[in-house]
Amino acid sequence: MARSSTSSTTTKDAQALFQSLRSAYASTPTNLKVIIFLPTLQYLVKCCLGLQFLPKICLYDFKKTDVVSFFYAEVCLRIQVNKENKEFKDLPPERAFADFVLCNLVLHLVIMNFLG
Amino acid sequence: MSNHLSIIFLILILLPFLTQSFSPKKVLILLDDFSLKSSHSLYFTSLKNRNYHLDFHLATDSNLKLSQHGEYLYDGLILFSPTVQKFGGSLDLNSVLGFVDSGRNLILAVDESASDLVKEIATECGVDFDEDSGAVVIDHGSFADGDHMLIASDDFIDSDVILGKEKIEAPVLFKGIGHALNPVNSQVLKVLSASPWAYSANPESKLSSPPSLTGSRISLVSVVQTTLSRVAKASETLCLVLPDNIGFRRIKAIALFSPDDFKILQARNNARILISGSLDLFSNRLFKSGVQKAGSSTNEELMGKPTFDDRYLRSGNEQFTTELSRWVFNERGHLKAVNVRHNKVGETVEPSMYRITDDLEYSVEIYEWSGTSWEPYVSDDVQIQFYMMSPYVLKTLATDKKGLYYTSFKVPDVYGVFQFKVEYHKLGYTSLSLAKQIPVRPFRHNEYERFLTAAFPYYGASFSTMAGFFVFSIIYLYNK
Repeated sequence: MARSSTSSTTTKDAQALFQSLRSAYASTPTNLKVIIFLPTLQYLVKCCLGLQFLPKICLYDFKKTDVVSFFYAEVCLRIQVNKENKEFKDLPPERAFADFVLCNLVLHLVIMNFLG
Repeated sequence: MSNHLSIIFLILILLPFLTQSFSPKKVLILLDDFSLKSSHSLYFTSLKNRNYHLDFHLATDSNLKLSQHGEYLYDGLILFSPTVQKFGGSLDLNSVLGFVDSGRNLILAVDESASDLVKEIATECGVDFDEDSGAVVIDHGSFADGDHMLIASDDFIDSDVILGKEKIEAPVLFKGIGHALNPVNSQVLKVLSASPWAYSANPESKLSSPPSLTGSRISLVSVVQTTLSRVAKASETLCLVLPDNIGFRRIKAIALFSPDDFKILQARNNARILISGSLDLFSNRLFKSGVQKAGSSTNEELMGKPTFDDRYLRSGNEQFTTELSRWVFNERGHLKAVNVRHNKVGETVEPSMYRITDDLEYSVEIYEWSGTSWEPYVSDDVQIQFYMMSPYVLKTLATDKKGLYYTSFKVPDVYGVFQFKVEYHKLGYTSLSLAKQIPVRPFRHNEYERFLTAAFPYYGASFSTMAGFFVFSIIYLYNK
């Protein structure tokens, strides 16, 4: 008895979760969608590229450093351009993007330096 | 005329230097009694013939001095004064030991009347005489002339360099007290041992307990050679190469030491000491007397029926003592190592530091003193260690038979402060301990390969991130 009731509530919860995700995703503006979609894809590609080095990638090395830093920068950008975040309502999205570009320039210069 | 005068003047100026360089070695001989001068004259004559200047004095002479104005007056000291209780003049136990510590040579002979003072000198040199003051070495197996206290021994140390190339055929006659070697002191060598059935006891008194010194543990004649140590300094700077903990290796700490830190162990440098329990060993009487000695250890002999099958017209004493004095006075087996050199293969300059896996060459020149000049020392057993806590490389050096020893090897793949070490301890020869410090560093940052094949995924990752940033920017700007 108890088991069937728990399993049925779990299924219901999962469905509810997926629905809320879908509706949330549908209501997200396109520019925010792009921000999350691209880096995820990129990270997957890179993992495939360096599959044999995966254990190492997870531990250290700048391969992860650059990808993850890029990812952080995008997350910050997303937070700043999201209109629902009242905290940044005074910040124009153009300014946010300019910050993002500047961060990336610095990041890639550092990476180029490490490449030798 | 003035020309002649100037030449004469020049010779007069140079004379002290010329005579100094060719001057005979001076030896101070201390006696209990001047009668020893004639009773041991053969021994002294053999020294004189080898160009030694002998200076005889009574041990109690009040004008005795070993050094003047801080410089030693003698190269060698012979103590044939067993009974002396206190030296005359400025001589005492410490000055004798200081004389030895300065690298000079000492011959000490005692007999059954040895005083505490001479026994103490022997003890300081690593030799313990029998504590029983009346004890002498007695041997009922191998004796001569029917006197069980006149021992005939031919149990010599097996060393050409100490006893000479020519084998001593006749046994050596010995009458005196025995001593044991301090087992801790590895620098003392037994040159003449007693036979296994000898013992040390007082012949006057009855033996109530077993004698403390028995058998071949008794040494009749011993020599001591103190060790020569020299630590050469690599440079005035010593670098400690340590890894730091983030994966990049670099030199983390550089410690500076003054060159004085490397001047280690100059004392006790290569003095040679001869200690004999018998003064009679050197006497004309025993030099000249024939030996009738029991044969080598046959059963009969052990049963107490010695077979007198070996007969010699003269004992081996003269040859034995002469050859020993040659060794003691550094006429044989005296080595020096000079010109320690090391460099990278293909270079001639000595670097202050090596890198791991460098190929290097090491060379050292070793010479032996022949009595008049330094001759090349030829041997095939000189080894070099590349040492840090333990030897990482141990190699036998090749020689060109002209005194140069050389080898080449690869620096191990370990970095730290290493030493080039030559530890040459050969029986009878001067001990050579050369150590030269040299740091070994890891590869520098720019000594690795520029681009590694294994790292291509990493490069790809960086460039694709840049491309990704570009594509993202375009898409983001167009989706506004």
